This record gives sequence, C-alpha cells and structure tokens, in this order.
Amino acid sequence: MDFLTVFPYVGILVLVLLNAILVLKRDITVDSHNPE
Amino acid sequence: MDYFNEHWVTLVLTAFYVGGCLYIGWFFKKKASQGVEGYYVAKREIPGWVISLAFFSTSASTNTYIGQAGKSFQYGLSWAWMGLIWTFFCIVSWQLLGPKMRSQTARLKSFTIPDYFHLRYKSNMAKSIRVLSALIILFATIWYMVGIAKGCAHVLTSVLDIPYEYGAFAIIAVTCAYTIWGGMYSVLWTDAIQGIIMFGVAILMLAIPFMYAGGTANLMEAIGNTEHVTQQGEPMRSGLVTFGELVSFLYILGIGLAVGMKQISEPKNLIRFYSINNAKSMRFAMIWTPIFLGISLVCVMGLGALVHGMVNAEEAGYLIHHTDEVVGFMLDKYDNKFVNGICVAGLFAAGMSSLASVIIIIGTAFVKDIWHVVRPMDTSKIIPRTKWFMAGYCVLVYVLTLYPMAGIVELTAFAGAVFAASFFPAIFGGLYLKWGTDLGALASMVMGMLVNVVWRFGFRFEYAALKDIHEVIPAFLMAMLTYILVSLWSGKRKPDDAHLKLVFGTPKE
Repeated sequence: MDFLTVFPYVGILVLVLLNAILVLKRDITVDSHNPE
Repeated sequence: MDYFNEHWVTLVLTAFYVGGCLYIGWFFKKKASQGVEGYYVAKREIPGWVISLAFFSTSASTNTYIGQAGKSFQYGLSWAWMGLIWTFFCIVSWQLLGPKMRSQTARLKSFTIPDYFHLRYKSNMAKSIRVLSALIILFATIWYMVGIAKGCAHVLTSVLDIPYEYGAFAIIAVTCAYTIWGGMYSVLWTDAIQGIIMFGVAILMLAIPFMYAGGTANLMEAIGNTEHVTQQGEPMRSGLVTFGELVSFLYILGIGLAVGMKQISEPKNLIRFYSINNAKSMRFAMIWTPIFLGISLVCVMGLGALVHGMVNAEEAGYLIHHTDEVVGFMLDKYDNKFVNGICVAGLFAAGMSSLASVIIIIGTAFVKDIWHVVRPMDTSKIIPRTKWFMAGYCVLVYVLTLYPMAGIVELTAFAGAVFAASFFPAIFGGLYLKWGTDLGALASMVMGMLVNVVWRFGFRFEYAALKDIHEVIPAFLMAMLTYILVSLWSGKRKPDDAHLKLVFGTPKE
C-alpha cells in the first residue's frame, strides 16, 4: 500500500483534529433567543 | 411463517425506527404550526449537538453509503480522496459561513436561502434573484430525491423482498408525513437520531470485511494482489492498493469537488446554520460536525475495495459492473441477522435524513420564495400551503421513482455543481463583501449555470484532455470572478449604509 493511498485516511483524521484546535482558539459570536 | 423467521430482526428494527420518526413528527406538530419562523427554521432555538448531527446526516445519504462505498470496488482504496475533499469543504463551510450566516439571517429575519438573497441585496432585482434561486432549487433537487428514494427502495427489495413500488411508496410516505407534521423541528430531531445510527453503522460496515476475512493481515493480503478483473477485463493485481492505478486523480478531484462543494452552497446544508441557538452551540457544531462526517467517510469510502476480500472471481466479475450492489452483496455474504438489521436501519437513516431535508427546502422555496413573492398571501396561509405543496411534490417524486430515467447519478452530481457555482459567490459576497451588489449576485448566478451547461454538454466530452475536468471547476471560478467584477463595476447599486449596518452589525464582530 503506497503513501498516497493511505494519505486520505490519515489526512481526514489530522484535518478534523486541526479544525478542532482552530475552533477552540477562535472567538465565536452569533447575533438578539437563547443567549449563552 | 418462514418469511418472518428469516426477517424478524430487520422487521422489528425497521418498525421501531419508522415508529420513532413518526412519533417525533407528531410530537412537534403543534409547536411547529404556531408560526412561520417555527415551521421554517425551528425558531433558531436548536442545540448544537442536534444541528451538528443533522448537518452530517443531511450531507451523507444512501448515495454515500451505497453508491460511493460501492464505487471503491471499481476504483480501489484511493477513492477515499473523495472523503478528504468532502471533509475539507465541511470544515470550510462551518468556519467560513456558519457564524456569519447565523448572525446575518437572524438580523435580517431570513427564513430561507432565496429570501436571504432578497433581504441582503435589498432591491427589486434582488427579488428576482430570490425567485430564480428558488426555481433552481426546485429543478436541481428532484433528481437527488429520486436517486435517494430509488436507493432505499432497492435496499427494501434486496433485504426484505418487498416489491420495489411498495418500498418506494413506504419510504416517501413516511418521510413526507413526519416532515409535514413537525416542519423544521421534526426534520432536525429525526436527522440527529438518524445521524447517530449512521455513524454507528459506518463503523459496523467497515468491520464486516475484516471479520469475514479473519483479521487485517488476511484481508490486506487478499486485496493487495488480486486476479479480480477491472471493467475492461484486465486483472487488477495490486491496483486496489496503488494510488492512481484504477482511476485518475483528476477524475477523483472533479467528483470530489462537485460533491464536496455542496457543503458550502446547497440550501439543505446551509439552512442548518439558521436554526442553531447560540455561540456555545455553534462552537460545538464547528468542532464535531467534521468529526462525524470525516470518520464516517473514512469507514465507507474504501469499503468497496475491501469487499474484494469477501468475493470470488466470478462474483467480482459481476459486481465490477454493478457497484451499487456491492454493499447489499456484502451484507448477504456476511449473513448475520442482527448485523443486517442494524445496517438496513442505517441505510434507511441515511436516505430519509437527506430526503426530509430537501422536502422542506422544496416546500419553503416554492411557497415563500415564488408564490408569496409573485402574489403575496396572508401569513396564516403560508404553513398550510407549504404542507400541501410538499405532499404534492412527494407524489411527483414517487411517480419519477417508479419510472426513473437514466443517468440520475450524473444528474445529481451536475445539480451539485450548479449549486456550488451559482449560489456560493452570492452567499460569500453577501456575508463578507460590503461592496457586493445585486447585479453582481445575479450575474454570477447566471454565469454559474451557463458555464456548467456549456462545459458539460458543449465540449467536455469532445476533447480527451478535458473529459476528467468536472464542470464545477471552470463554472465556480468564472462565477466567482463575475461576482467580483460586476459588483465593482456596478458599485452604485450596493444597498444604503443604514441597511449595510443592519446586515454587518456592530464593528466588534
């Protein structure tokens, strides 16, 4: 099994992990029913 | 009695699942009928975990769990690049559009994607953008619905021996009933439960080839070098585990973009941002939605390739020409009542969650964004008329499911490309570019459709070098460029400062 075949499987897991870190560092505001 | 002895587990699980969906629809019936905001966007009061699961279950459908999973039987493990592109656009959608869209649509009191165009660009021309985008939704969505209904009906036929026409009727009728009763409330809550089932079933389906082959080493040995043939009759040998051998990367990239970019442009996905209740929920959904989708795609995108380890050469010779039957064949071969029952529930969940999401989009687009714009009606009539239209549209979908035309899969991918090119520039510009204009939005929408049609039907298949370049690529780039250039050229048409202040809120954002 070559590197580029394995890449997307590992890539997806790394991508969602990186995204989680980015979201946690980000300041998120939404607009006026259930304030936080 | 033999029939019940053989199928009782699947029948009980299916009955339990269908009963649950109908109960949720009935439970929200009264609450959803109290006002348009409740019926259309669940009053923007839904918790983050529900929205997160609902976005995932709406994005993935039977096209994913049966169609895409089966495709890797033909294309090998590299097909998972599709999943990587898809997950990437899921992240882009939540990071780039999620919080902004929730804020702007609440301020503008927008309940649908077409009415967002109207309220954001605020002009008579914006009103025509609203009607045009609603028409695109009506035409582009029907193929998708027929494809899903067809997929679910085939599952019922192959697993429970239920005749195709009865199976299709049952699927459409149940989904239509709970959607009509509870509006967006029941769509979101059933979607969330279906998302949990789908996530579990994706992991379970991945385990089946490994359990059947007796471990990872055995399975990898079987698919690492196989005499099973490609569609052209050549032995695959190590093709299943070698990048680019069975399918060109350019082809995967094109299909991946056409399917993946639906996350940043298709109304059934974007409407999820409207209903989330607060910033804390938004943060939860931004983290967990890509995780639910990404892990599920890791499980199903290479599944077909692994099934090569469960079949003999003769069976593989048949399945290579019928990749839609690979997942059903895998379940038959494994032949475990409980596993089959759970997987069938998962496949229903995948189909019905996507079907319900588009039924409500269709109803709202026609009644509020076409009928109500052309001939304004009393607000008390909006919900009943939406319900009637959804029921009528479901009858049309049923008729088309009985007599499906050829090439539904291609039409669905084409519809995805139309959404990506025609809707994204006007949405992105609306959310981020204060200088975006109604003319820029309209021109980009028309350009997106035009390039899609011309590229696909004009010259994509006329030249060998272009056949793997999906129309979504040139159409998206041209539409984006058109939005920018026409908006700059028609700068005087941008809405007044007071309106832009309402749209973009206070500077702290």
